[in-house]
Amino acid sequence: MSKKTDTPEDLATLSAEEYKGWSNYHPSDEDNYNQRNQPVRPLLEVKDLSVDFTDANGKPIHAVHKAGFTMYPGQWVAIVGESGSGKSTTAMSILNLLPGTGHITGGSIKLDGEELVGKSQKDYDKLRGRRIGLVPQDPMSNLNPVWRIGTQVEESLKANHMDIAREKRNEFSKALEHAEVRLRNADDELFIGHQDWDDLIRTTLEALASAHVPDVKKVMHHLRHSWVIGSTTRWSVAQDLIVAGLDDDTAWRVAKQHVTGSDMKDRVAGLLDEAGLPDAATRARQYPYEFSGGMRQRALIAIGLAARPDLLIADEPTSALDVTVQKRILDHLQGLTDSLGTSVLFITHDLGLAAERAQYIVVMYHGHVVESGPSLEVLQHPEHPYTKRLVKAAPSLASQRMISAYQHGDANADRFIEHHQRSSEEVAKSKNIITVEHLTKLFNLPHKKEKFKAVDDVSFSIKRGTTLAIVGESGSGKSTVANMVLHLLKPDKGKVIYEGKDTSTFDKKQMLDFRRHVQPVFQNPYGSLDPMYSIYRSIAEPLEIHKIGDNKSRLARVKELLDMVELPESVMNRHPNELSGGQRQRIAIARAMALNPDVIIADEAVSALDVLVQDEVLRLLNDLQAQRGLSYLFITHDLAVVRQIADDVVVMEHGQLVERGTTDEIFEHPQKQYTKDLLDAIPGGKLKLGLDL
Amino acid sequence: MTSAQTSAQPASQLYPGQERFVAPANEVKLEAVDSVDEDAPALGMWQSAWRVLRKNPLFIVSGILIIFILFVALFPSVFTHVDPRYCNLSNSLRNPSAGHPFGFDQQGCDIYSRVIWGTRTSVSIGISTTIFVTLFGGLIGAVAGFFGGWVDTLLSRITDIFYGIPFLLGAIVLLQMFTDVDSIWKLVATMTLFGWTEMARITRSAVLEAKNLEFNTASTALGSSPARNLFRHVLPNSLAPMIVIATLSLGQYIVSEASLDFLGVGLGGNTVSWGVDISNAQTLIRTNPMVLFYPSLALAITVLAFIMMGDAVKDALDPTGRTA
Repeated sequence: MSKKTDTPEDLATLSAEEYKGWSNYHPSDEDNYNQRNQPVRPLLEVKDLSVDFTDANGKPIHAVHKAGFTMYPGQWVAIVGESGSGKSTTAMSILNLLPGTGHITGGSIKLDGEELVGKSQKDYDKLRGRRIGLVPQDPMSNLNPVWRIGTQVEESLKANHMDIAREKRNEFSKALEHAEVRLRNADDELFIGHQDWDDLIRTTLEALASAHVPDVKKVMHHLRHSWVIGSTTRWSVAQDLIVAGLDDDTAWRVAKQHVTGSDMKDRVAGLLDEAGLPDAATRARQYPYEFSGGMRQRALIAIGLAARPDLLIADEPTSALDVTVQKRILDHLQGLTDSLGTSVLFITHDLGLAAERAQYIVVMYHGHVVESGPSLEVLQHPEHPYTKRLVKAAPSLASQRMISAYQHGDANADRFIEHHQRSSEEVAKSKNIITVEHLTKLFNLPHKKEKFKAVDDVSFSIKRGTTLAIVGESGSGKSTVANMVLHLLKPDKGKVIYEGKDTSTFDKKQMLDFRRHVQPVFQNPYGSLDPMYSIYRSIAEPLEIHKIGDNKSRLARVKELLDMVELPESVMNRHPNELSGGQRQRIAIARAMALNPDVIIADEAVSALDVLVQDEVLRLLNDLQAQRGLSYLFITHDLAVVRQIADDVVVMEHGQLVERGTTDEIFEHPQKQYTKDLLDAIPGGKLKLGLDL
Repeated sequence: MTSAQTSAQPASQLYPGQERFVAPANEVKLEAVDSVDEDAPALGMWQSAWRVLRKNPLFIVSGILIIFILFVALFPSVFTHVDPRYCNLSNSLRNPSAGHPFGFDQQGCDIYSRVIWGTRTSVSIGISTTIFVTLFGGLIGAVAGFFGGWVDTLLSRITDIFYGIPFLLGAIVLLQMFTDVDSIWKLVATMTLFGWTEMARITRSAVLEAKNLEFNTASTALGSSPARNLFRHVLPNSLAPMIVIATLSLGQYIVSEASLDFLGVGLGGNTVSWGVDISNAQTLIRTNPMVLFYPSLALAITVLAFIMMGDAVKDALDPTGRTA
C-alpha cells in the first residue's frame, strides 16, 4: 500500500483525490459529521454482542447482553464498570479469548468492516498480534517465568512474521492524516542497526562540525539519546539532522548511508525501549523475576505493540501499579499509539483515568451497556442512574473531606471521646493518642551484607479522634510502619508511644490491653478472614481471645456489630467465601470494632474494592469515627481516598518521611517535589466529574 | 459535545456510531450496592465439599463399598458362623458346598470364613496406620512449617533421611527381627515408621502456605498467641490436603500389609489375614486358582474402594475447585 515517490525529501504529499482512490472513501456521505474531511470508517464495530457462560449444571449465565459500541482509528476508548460488569468479557470476545465456558451467543464484531464472529481459530491466529494486540491485566502472571524478556518479545515478532529491519507503519496513521498524508519510501522505514551506530554517530559529528552548527556537543548529546537502535527509522534520523541544522541533502545522505536496518536483537531492544524500558538491550536478557511490576507491564506493552496492531486491547493495564508509574507508562503508551495510529480499547474501573485518556467511554453494568458517548460529556453530565451513582462515588482530588456528625477541628470533639475514658489512673489526656518517634526498620537482604532500610527515622503522631493517612507508593515502607505501630514487627530504632506510654516496655498483660485498643483492618478482604470460620466465629474471635462474656452475650454483641456495619444478621452462619470483597471488609471492620478500640489501623483497607463499594466502606468508617471518636491510621496509595477521609497526611518515599501536614495543606500547597509528582499523577485529578450531581 | 471539545483530547470530533447513548433506565434493574443474597444457603468449606461429593458417582460407589467393608470388619459373625481357624485336613481343597460357598484351602480351612474374618485385620491395620501416620507425620510437618528456622531445617532433614529409605525394604529388614511376634501392631508400627514422611512433607507445605495468610496476622493483632494461631487457624486450614493424602494412602497400607505377609515378614499363620492366605495359596495358582482368587478379590475391592474415595475427596477439597 505504500506509494513510492521520487521527491528528494521522500515526504510526498498525496492530494485528496489520490487519497480517495486509495481508501475508497467518499467524503460526501459524511459531510455533516466531518467538516475536516476525515475518513470516518470505523475500526471496530461491536453490535448487540451477547456472551454466555455455562455453569456447573449446564445452565447459561448471561455475562454480556446486547452490548454495542464503535471505535475509530487512533481513538482511545474506555470500558468502565465494576468487577463482574462484563467489561473484560466484552473485550476478550473481540479476540475470541473467552475463558472457560464462555461463548458468543449473538451479535456481530466487525474489525475494519470484516465480521469476526464465527471466524475459525486459524483466522484468529492471523488476526491476533498483527491486527489486534493485547496488554493483559496482571503483569505478574502474564510473562513466562522461564524465558528471557527478549525471547518473549521476539516470539511475538516471529509469530507474526514481522519484518524486523523496517517499520510497518500502521495504515491508519496515514489514514488519519488524510489530507496531508505522507507515504514514505519503504527503505526510509529502515531502523538503525547495531552495526550502524558508531559510523552514524561519527559521521553525524563530522557533518555537524563541517556545517558549523553551534553547540555541537549539546546537539550530539541530544541525538545520541533520542536515537534508539532498532526503533528510530532512517527518515526520522534525517529529519532530526535537518532540525539540527544540516541541509536536506547532507542529512539524507548521512541517513541513507548509515541507517541500514536492524536485526532481531536490535528490534527487540528497540521495542522495549519504545515501551519505556531504559537500557533495553541489557533488560532483554533478563528474566521476568528480575523485573518490577511496572517493568513487566512495559514488557507486555512492547509485546502487545510488537506487530504494530491496528487495535490494542488493554485490560486494566496499570491497575496494579503505582500512580506515578501508571502515569509514565500511559503517557508513553499514548505517545507511541499516537505516532503509530493505533487505537486503544482499554478497560478500567478508574473513572478519572477514563476521563483523562479516552475520547469515548462505554459504561457497563450487569452485562449491559448503560451509557456511552464522548468520555468527558458522559462523566460530567451522566444521565443513566447507574452512571450517576458511579460518578458520585468516585473519589477525586476535587472532592472534600467526608462530613459526618463529627466536624473536623470542632471544639466539642471531646463529647465523642467521653465514653472512652477507661482508667482512672490515666492523667490528663494527651492530645495525641499515638506518637511514633524515630522509627527505623532494617531488613536483611538475601546474599547481601548491608541491610535494607525499609523505614528510616519516621516520626509522626495521631491526634485523638482524627484520621492520619500515610501515603506512599509500593516499597515506601508505609505498611512496615503500620506493622510496627501494631507491634507485629519490632522496630530496630525508635519507639511507639500509646497514651503517653512507650509500648516496647509493655509486659504481657499491658500488651494484651494494647491489642484490645489498637485494632487493624487489612488490605486483602480475601485473606484477612479465616475461610474455615463462620462469620459469627470470625467476629466473636476477639471476644474469645480476651475472654469477654459468655456465648449468649457474645451472640448479642456479634448481632450488634453486624448491625453497626450494616449487614443482615443472617450472614452470621455464612463463610467468607460466600461474601463479596466489600462485605468481607465490613466483617473485618466489625471484628476490629468488637473490643471497642480507640485506634484502627487500616492498611489499604479499601484498595481492593470497586468504587461504589469503596465509597460505602469509607462512609461507614467515617460514621464510626464520628460516633465513637475513633482515631484512624489510614495507610493507602490512593490520594483521592486520602482527600476524602484524612485530617492529616504523612507522605513517605523510600522509607523516609517526605512531607507532613494537614490534608488541605498537602493537597493545596504541596512543598516537596515528590508530593507534587504524586498529586500530578492522579488520573483525571484536575478534571471535575459529575458537574450536575 | 461542547464539553467534549474543551478537553485536551485531539480527536473530539463526533463520529457516526459514537453519539451519546443512554440505556432506558428501566432496562437494567439497579441493585443496591453490594447487597447480600439472603436466600442463598450458608456454606462452609466442608458443606460445599459435601455438596460436590454427594453428586460424585465415584464417591457414592466407594462410600457404599466402604460402609459395607467396615460393617463386615466390625461384625464378621453376621456373615459367617464358621470359625476361620478351624481347619480340617480332610477338607483340603474341597470344592464349594452348602455353608462353604468358596470351598476349602489346602489346610482344609473354610475360604469364605477366612475372607470375611480377614477383612477385620486388613481394615484395622489400614486405618490404624493411617491414623498414626497422620498424627505423627502431621505433627512433625506442622511444627516444621509453623516454626520454621532451625526447627524446620532439622525436622526436614530427618524427614528426608526417612524418605530416602525404600518403604518395603525398610519394613522387611525391620520386621524380620520380629518374626516371632504375631500382632498387627508390629505392622502398624513399622509402616508408620517408614510411611510418615509423605504426610509430614504435605503438612509442612500446607502449613507454610496457611501461616502466611493474613488472617493469622489479624489474629495476632487481636492478641492471639502463636500456639493458638497454629491450632485454631493454621491446622484447620491445612487439613484438606492431609485428608486427601490420608484417604489415598489408606488403601496403600492395606496393600503393603498383604505384601509383607506374602513376603513372610508380616503376620504369622495364626492370624487370619488376606495377605497370609494369598501367600499360602501362591503354590496352588495352577491347580486351584480359586483359593488364591477370593482373598485377592477381597483385597482388590477394598483397596479400590479407598483409592476411589481418596480421588473423590481430592476432587471435592481441591482448592482450585472451590468458589472464590
